[in-house]
Amino acid sequence: MKKKLMTAVMTSISEVMETMFFLPIEPAADATLARCGLDKQKTMACQLSFSGDISGRMILLADESLVAEMARNFMGESSEYLTDEYLMGTLTEMLNMVCGNALSKIQADIPFELGIPAKIDASEIPEKEEFSIIETTQSKMAFLLKTD
Amino acid sequence: MSYSILIVDDSLPMRSVIKKTLKAAGYAGSQFHEAANGKEALELMKHNWIDIILTDYNMPVMNGLDFVNAVKKEDLLKDIPVVIISTEGNEEKIRKFMDAGAAGYVTKPFTPEQIRDLIVKILGEVDYEEKIDDSSDDLDF
Repeated sequence: MKKKLMTAVMTSISEVMETMFFLPIEPAADATLARCGLDKQKTMACQLSFSGDISGRMILLADESLVAEMARNFMGESSEYLTDEYLMGTLTEMLNMVCGNALSKIQADIPFELGIPAKIDASEIPEKEEFSIIETTQSKMAFLLKTD
Repeated sequence: MSYSILIVDDSLPMRSVIKKTLKAAGYAGSQFHEAANGKEALELMKHNWIDIILTDYNMPVMNGLDFVNAVKKEDLLKDIPVVIISTEGNEEKIRKFMDAGAAGYVTKPFTPEQIRDLIVKILGEVDYEEKIDDSSDDLDF
């Protein structure tokens, strides 16, 4: 079930990035944050819990520059207008869309509940944790699925 | 024709995107109201006439389904069309919303055309001349 959900998540990330943020993506090999070159100090992170037939949480991290690019594309606004609230709101909304979309793909007729996506501190993520890495042409994001 | 449109979503960027989509679809002359959850929206509706509501489902304090149920319980509010814009495309959830009296459902991620087509279906086609007149407003936000 976890593997099926992970496949749905990767499809959803691609759909959401292209439909809402106009950014094509390429999945890369799984890696720790340090190994994939994501600097925790310049990374924004959030998580979202879900429950139902399968329960757990999803964590999404992205380079600050990528979040800014996503927010600019999403809202059609220039960088000066985009406050931290808009930037974090963009990342949490991305995770919300990916999670809801992926769960709907694997269990369209089974109810599930999503939590409220929330900001987390990237520095608290264990060094050894392996993430799925997603690359855009100029930057990257990392995704982690934890099931109960 | 201008409308009074209420957008309910806890995501500030998503409210902004929905508002822009509606403005680009020809509703730029409308008055837009925003709320971050169902409770805030009900409070706002005590003081403002609303023609149509677009609401998210997954929100803190009061979620979209409880909000729709609260709106449909009130005689003064029950005829206001409510459109759900949610990440959750689960059939059971969509059925619950439609049973509660929602006028339509759009799943995120959405295209501007999906929002426009549904709103036009509910409110009616926007006059083309008004659309041209209002297009300059798009540059102001």
